[in-house]
Amino acid sequence: MKQPKNILLVDDEEEFLETTSLRLRRRAFDVRTATRWGEAMPEVQSGWPHVVVLDVMLPDVDGMECLARIKAMQRHLPVVMLTGHASLQASVWGLEHGASDYCLKPIELDELVEKIILAYQDVR
Amino acid sequence: MSFVLEQLARFFRRSPKSGPEEVRSAFQDHYRNFRALLTANNNALELMSTAEEMLHSGKPFGMAFVGGDITALTVNVFKMVRSLIALSDGRYKELEDRFKIIADRVEAILSRQPVVAGSAFVLTMEEIDSGAVDQVGAKMANLGELRNRLGIRVPEGFAVTVLAGRHFMEASRITDEINRRLQTLDVEDLQALDRVSDDIQDLIRGAHLPDDLDHLIREHADRLAHDAGDEATVSLRSSAWGEDSRQSSFAGQYRTRLNVPLAAIPETYKDIVAGKYRSQAIVYREQRGYRHQDVLMCVGCLVMVDAVVSGVCYSRPPDDPRSPWLVVHAAPGLGNHIVDGTSAYDLLRIGRESPHAIVAVHLATGESANACLSDVHARELAQLSLRIEQHFGTPQDIEWAVDRDGRLVILQARPSGTLTPTNAGAAPDSASFEAAPILAGGATASRGVASGAVRRVKTQEQALHFPRDAVLVVETPYPEWAVLMNRAAAVVAESGQIATHLATVAREFGVPALFDLPGALSRLEDGQVVTVDATGRRVYQGCVEALLEQATRRPNLMEGSPVHSLLKEALGHITPLHLTEPDSPRFKPAACRTLHDITRFCHEKALAEMLRLGRRLGAKDKSAKQLYVVGMPSQWWVVNVDDGFREGADLSDPFIRIEDIVSEPMLAIWQGINAVHWDGPPPVSLRGFGAIIAQSAMNPQLDPAVRSSLSGRNYFLISRNYCNLSVRLGYHFALAEASFSELLSESYVNFTFQGGAADESRRRRRVHLLADTLRSIDFRVSVKGDSLSARIEKRPIPYLKERLLVLGYLLIHTRQMDMVMHDEARIDRYLEKMRADIAAIRGAAAANSGAENEAAQEHPAG
Repeated sequence: MKQPKNILLVDDEEEFLETTSLRLRRRAFDVRTATRWGEAMPEVQSGWPHVVVLDVMLPDVDGMECLARIKAMQRHLPVVMLTGHASLQASVWGLEHGASDYCLKPIELDELVEKIILAYQDVR
Repeated sequence: MSFVLEQLARFFRRSPKSGPEEVRSAFQDHYRNFRALLTANNNALELMSTAEEMLHSGKPFGMAFVGGDITALTVNVFKMVRSLIALSDGRYKELEDRFKIIADRVEAILSRQPVVAGSAFVLTMEEIDSGAVDQVGAKMANLGELRNRLGIRVPEGFAVTVLAGRHFMEASRITDEINRRLQTLDVEDLQALDRVSDDIQDLIRGAHLPDDLDHLIREHADRLAHDAGDEATVSLRSSAWGEDSRQSSFAGQYRTRLNVPLAAIPETYKDIVAGKYRSQAIVYREQRGYRHQDVLMCVGCLVMVDAVVSGVCYSRPPDDPRSPWLVVHAAPGLGNHIVDGTSAYDLLRIGRESPHAIVAVHLATGESANACLSDVHARELAQLSLRIEQHFGTPQDIEWAVDRDGRLVILQARPSGTLTPTNAGAAPDSASFEAAPILAGGATASRGVASGAVRRVKTQEQALHFPRDAVLVVETPYPEWAVLMNRAAAVVAESGQIATHLATVAREFGVPALFDLPGALSRLEDGQVVTVDATGRRVYQGCVEALLEQATRRPNLMEGSPVHSLLKEALGHITPLHLTEPDSPRFKPAACRTLHDITRFCHEKALAEMLRLGRRLGAKDKSAKQLYVVGMPSQWWVVNVDDGFREGADLSDPFIRIEDIVSEPMLAIWQGINAVHWDGPPPVSLRGFGAIIAQSAMNPQLDPAVRSSLSGRNYFLISRNYCNLSVRLGYHFALAEASFSELLSESYVNFTFQGGAADESRRRRRVHLLADTLRSIDFRVSVKGDSLSARIEKRPIPYLKERLLVLGYLLIHTRQMDMVMHDEARIDRYLEKMRADIAAIRGAAAANSGAENEAAQEHPAG
């Protein structure tokens, strides 16, 4: 089965980005990070990522809006929402607008890796 | 709208005949949706049982757990709904509306905000009594009650209300950020806890106080300056408000600032509000089942009393509620240090009855000295305390001071919790064991007996590494050690007494605590196992069973707490299952009342869709085929939904040979079915099965062989790594579902059983026997009435295979139980045989997988 390789992590918590990208790289993923939509956008546009892991609250653009923009640019790019914001409304909205999954922090690395793989396989 | 149908339609327009490639692709799309639905189903069921288990565990949990579990659960149910809609080409569209109605109800419960009373941001002491408790919290309301109803002297001042506190938080827009940090916090990680606590408090201290509130506070500060003079200083104390009325002490968790200049009140106010997020307060709320948002801060702002002597009075001692004495702790000056556990003090007993006899139990300055509290004041204090106790109707814990003018002022009064049952840990009975104590004496701060390894803690750094279930040994019982109350087995302190905050929290949590025991730090060594008998005031070497037998269980602090109630209420819309009969006309989207109903509906309909799909798409290899075993057709049917048949198998037949099946989970079940020879008719003959059950034999409607629709038959729905087996025999219905995958979230075995064909008590008995057997092989089992469901998830494939073998065996052999159910002796014999069979099957499976491993090691390339 085909595995995703390029992961884009979008989150305003730098510490989270640092530890998570380190650990994903150890699992042989290529990881790029962005702390805001302004940084994430060119990456999405370039078509580099196979899967995006996206936080719900970003400083410049609301994560939900961010999801909508990603989907408008790359309809088939899987997006896993990963957030500290436990909201049923946000999660349902996210899935309806094309998110592959909506997960809550803190998340075990194994679980995140599975979510990334499943998201990639589902969209294909 | 279905992608598949679009594809098919486009194809048909192009060509009148559908080629095998297109059908294959359509099938694979459906199969992917089906798999996604199954995975989501499994996740949802797991999250439901996790929540149910947590609710009944008595273990503490917070909103981070509740919000996290229920959000994930809802996400998975919604995924199922969407997968089913795609799978059925939009047929169950209305299910989405049902889902949203239920999800909205759950969301409304989870996001419910406490209702804050009143409209004032500030109330002066004249305006406060017990009726204002929802505006100013219990501490300030009680103080106002003393002043205005009982005419007792209390400090003058004002309260910045709960409403004002909320106004501050809302205006500064930091609540979302605070909640986000708490959602991701693991309170067991003390280092992270301190960091998050500091960050949140900085956030609050740095926030802008809304102008209207700032002005109002300054106005009232000016009024105090006018009455008490510009040089007057104030104390700022938190008066927490929580939604429930149970006894929760909140002792020592929040912040108090003394001697604050009037001009510094607004800044200090923020600091007190920030105190809501001190580490010990966060842990306390988690342990006692409060949502952080349910506890709101009022701040009392009271003119400082220039005290010559001050202290604490218990109208009844917490360690002996039936005592005829009041207990008074007194020290010179202002006595916050008494409750902080840092000061030497006088300990007096005063008789409850007039003339209030006074006994000096212990004096800080030595036996010959005078007590720092005069007899006149001591009697006045006793009388006041008894009046207060009588007024509030419960024993009181009262902070008091005597000012320069000799006036007795009450600083605070609150119920003195005696949560620990009075029988917790009896006085040691020296006849029952021989051991001599290592240490004896001290003061019982919290009754009870516990054993554990000693861990001495002197610094915060050491506290971070405090192990679970160790005995905490400290010099001074600082309130900060309260963060360890959820993990300490017992507490021993060299100093301190029962009035300290730490003692209050220990009593509340049911942690035995022995204070005022000099030499504890030097006499006890880290790692040494001891038994602390706080009631008998002794510490013994080792684990003294004779004493521990008398120990009572810790109180269940979650039961009835706000978070517990909230989870229970939310689960009311989630876990009950109403849709149990797929054949009933009530089995439809509109009848789904809970998320569990929706998962059940989706699962059932998805299976039905997959069964029909082969025929619908005209795919021969995906249509139902009759299983051919040892040269003859059986009554088992097989539907291949993906890659469950061997490549090159002859698929033109309406039959499939067992040799042509490559579905690993199906083969495991099949092997289990045939593992042990059955004394009854051979398992391949379902007519034989049915005959055991008189009812089904007499009623041809119930004979599976007569049923026409496939859903009524016994079928395997398979792919290489998936198998769903439905067995209906008479009134029996069993469903085994297994999925093997390298991804743990796709690896599981589910089993449900509904038994019939016997009277009620036999059916229950049968289900319970089955439940016991499944539990013995590590299934998580729940039984309701005569139906059973059992699950194992996230386990490696060989482990699951072994369980499937046993399940296959049970499917066949449980039926035999019916025949012997009326005969106790036979049933025992029968159970014994079953246990032996299962052990043999598991033994063979283990040997087999061991051999496979060895083979794999010998031929790593192969």
